[in-house]
Amino acid sequence: MRSVAIRFGQMLLVLWAVATLLFFLFRLMPGDPTAAYIDTTFTAEQQEALKKQFGLDRSLPEQYALYFGNVLRGEFGTSFRSKRPVFEMIFEVLPNTLALTALSITIAYIFGVLVGAWLAWKRGSIAEAVGIPIVLTLRAAPEFWLGMVLLAIFAFGLGWFPSGGANSAGADYGSTLARMTSADFLHHLILPSMTLALYLQGLPLLLMRSNMLDVLQEDYVMMARMKGLPEWRILLMHAARNALLPVVTAFALGLGASVGGNVVVETVFSWPGLGRVLVDAVASSDYPLAQGAFMFIALILIVMNFVADLLYSVLDPRVAHG
Amino acid sequence: MNLHRRVLTLSMLAAVASAPLMVASPALAAGDPIRKIVLATAAQAADPQEYQAAQLIAQEWRKLGLDVEVRGFPRQQLSDYVWFNRQKWDTTMWRMVGRPERSDPDELVFNLFHSSTAEKGFNFVGYTNKEYDAIAEQQRRETDPAKRKAEVAKAQAMVAKDAPYVFLVHPKNTVGYLSSVFKPDTVVDQGGIGIRNFWTFTQAAPAGTVKDIIANSTDPLVSINPLYISGAVDSWVTELIWDRLMRIGPDGLPKPYAAQKVTWADATTLDVELKPNMKWHDGKPVTAEDVVFSFQATMGDKSPMYKPFSSNIASMEVTGPGKVRFKLKEPNASFLTSSIAKINLIPKHVWEPVLAGMAGKPENAESYQEKQPVGSGPFKVARFKLNEEVVLEKNADHFAAPKFDRFILRVIANNEAGLGMLKRGEVNFLSDYRGDPKLLNDMAAQQKDIQVASTVDMGLRFVGHNLRRQPFDDPAFRQALSIAVNRNLMAQAAWNGFAVPASSMISPALPFWHTGTPPKASIDEAKAILKKAGYEVVGGKLSYPTGKKETLQPE
Repeated sequence: MRSVAIRFGQMLLVLWAVATLLFFLFRLMPGDPTAAYIDTTFTAEQQEALKKQFGLDRSLPEQYALYFGNVLRGEFGTSFRSKRPVFEMIFEVLPNTLALTALSITIAYIFGVLVGAWLAWKRGSIAEAVGIPIVLTLRAAPEFWLGMVLLAIFAFGLGWFPSGGANSAGADYGSTLARMTSADFLHHLILPSMTLALYLQGLPLLLMRSNMLDVLQEDYVMMARMKGLPEWRILLMHAARNALLPVVTAFALGLGASVGGNVVVETVFSWPGLGRVLVDAVASSDYPLAQGAFMFIALILIVMNFVADLLYSVLDPRVAHG
Repeated sequence: MNLHRRVLTLSMLAAVASAPLMVASPALAAGDPIRKIVLATAAQAADPQEYQAAQLIAQEWRKLGLDVEVRGFPRQQLSDYVWFNRQKWDTTMWRMVGRPERSDPDELVFNLFHSSTAEKGFNFVGYTNKEYDAIAEQQRRETDPAKRKAEVAKAQAMVAKDAPYVFLVHPKNTVGYLSSVFKPDTVVDQGGIGIRNFWTFTQAAPAGTVKDIIANSTDPLVSINPLYISGAVDSWVTELIWDRLMRIGPDGLPKPYAAQKVTWADATTLDVELKPNMKWHDGKPVTAEDVVFSFQATMGDKSPMYKPFSSNIASMEVTGPGKVRFKLKEPNASFLTSSIAKINLIPKHVWEPVLAGMAGKPENAESYQEKQPVGSGPFKVARFKLNEEVVLEKNADHFAAPKFDRFILRVIANNEAGLGMLKRGEVNFLSDYRGDPKLLNDMAAQQKDIQVASTVDMGLRFVGHNLRRQPFDDPAFRQALSIAVNRNLMAQAAWNGFAVPASSMISPALPFWHTGTPPKASIDEAKAILKKAGYEVVGGKLSYPTGKKETLQPE
């Protein structure tokens, strides 16, 4: 219980550091945020008024105090550009990002774990000689390229899948839940999540394989073999269970990381998600929105890290006592 | 000290010793050599065409003996460097984008070059010329089109002679649509805007069974708000939802729209009469009081971006049912275009309480996003998600009801995917295409029902000189720089042929106002102009006329 409390404290410390870093990072960036609004219909007085409205006319420490007070109250302010509450903007696209992330990472890990274990078992065979280079190529291929290739083949060419967006033009579902469970939404989800899954599968696969190779050297596997157990049973019940532990950590962390890290896939497939909101915000020096989005992503990542820690101590009691 | 270093030191000494000698040489009767000139431009990643053009320009200027550095900036930093620091920059690539209200020449003639806007406003190059000011003011007052046209021509000629800008090109705007969805003869080409315009979206007729217009935008929308000028794409949507008393017609001139009659009683009095039986999308009637309220809303502090467009209104008065009389502070020929055809009509019953709630607070109408926007325009809002899609439905009760049932604008971040979507009909009007226009043309050649239209834009690409800094304060020097630039090459090489050479701030897309022809590029002529003005090339470097010192340095 004490170790949980310590970890929790560490988590808060990291969050504070992230929040502070974000604040200064954006203010050190070159370019006046109000410059994004320049237009010939815009005067210097309006410029000043805008700065005042966003508190940019105050000193840095003042801005920091103001910002931190707001963060503590969960108040991320309103976007410079759209003038809408940051929270509202994030939550509008969050379901799309979560759907894409959850589906692709689940596919990637199930595939990665099974194939990784199998390739370890087949060590030295032709399957390995062919499989490993394919896995490495997919892992190393740029996501946008992979995405464009899938688009060119399955959307523009064969026409099996739509070329972008999260639903057909003008489709109306009433609620977010109804939309996300509709066939149309899933149809749109397949290509982007396949792209992301192809990219993500490398890590669990290679991790699983190398763990398996270690575990297969262990005495208890030898023992199982000597008992004459069937191969699949040794593979799954004896070896894979133990080799799975680090993969679980990677899964939790990967889930956190890819919530914010889908920018490329979201852009290629015009998927309305958090990553693109973030990129647009940074590009237009929209401090509140960018800070809000970054904070949110950091929060998810740090919480997932915490969850991974807890999970690990449940799966492997040695960790909790160590 | 080894031999090598000793030689080096000796040669340095020699150089120092020979310096006084050089001053004595006869060629240096000329002034100081001109410092290195910094040509600012958007970075290659931000705008490859502009960057390419800057390189071509620097190449020509170097032939005149100038030392030119091309310095690329991200867009916003460029604004910072040029727009807010009016003393430090030398010369910069710049642009004006096409907008319907820019079809009146006033903004381009007055705002860009009148000396009153030099310090903080739009005349960022710092052009001050009393004679020009007088012309700019006169064209603004003159309400007789023929006489005004003459003044506008004078203004263009003077700018061409004084060359505060090097006019480069007017880009062409290339978009595409499916003729299986739109009857091609009902698609309207608006001068300087192209086929993606209000008239096409409201008046085009379906060619087949598809009754949805599906258009695209590369960037997410910022807001849907009649009191906030939030972006070009947003305006495609807002102009469909909110009516205006007049609209800019396909010919670039304002014509009555929600008003059935607009008449000048005298130079500062305008009478407007609404069309009968107009209704807001919530069913309430549109009244003269709503009209007065709409203009008042932009006059206070709650709609800062619209405020300049109503600042010339002295008073408004309801003179009968549906009738409003505007009194202006001073005569203004562009009033119909830049105010009457610009300001959105908004329902008083919706916005009065909103604005009242903001009174005395720092927030303004720009931060108010209606959940269900209410206008009186040809389309009404069905639903919208600014990051994904806006769905509008036709307003069947409108006096100019659209022929299509819905207008759907999808946010498609991937421009190339946009091409694929047009091919497959996932989008049937490719309204925002920023890729290579040639790709679109190639696709149209392969697939019969894809129609492509390139229109010369009202927008303008130019080089702006900082006239506050020598040598850019000298009209002869600027003239030479202008003649040295090959605009045809630029249109072909930097814009792939999708642009036409420019000679004026007013695009040939506005034939009524446009005058002038682009100068023929000639390095020899440029050199001759410089020589005549006293500039000399000394040791390969262009130098000031006799006696002139270099007092500045590149920043």
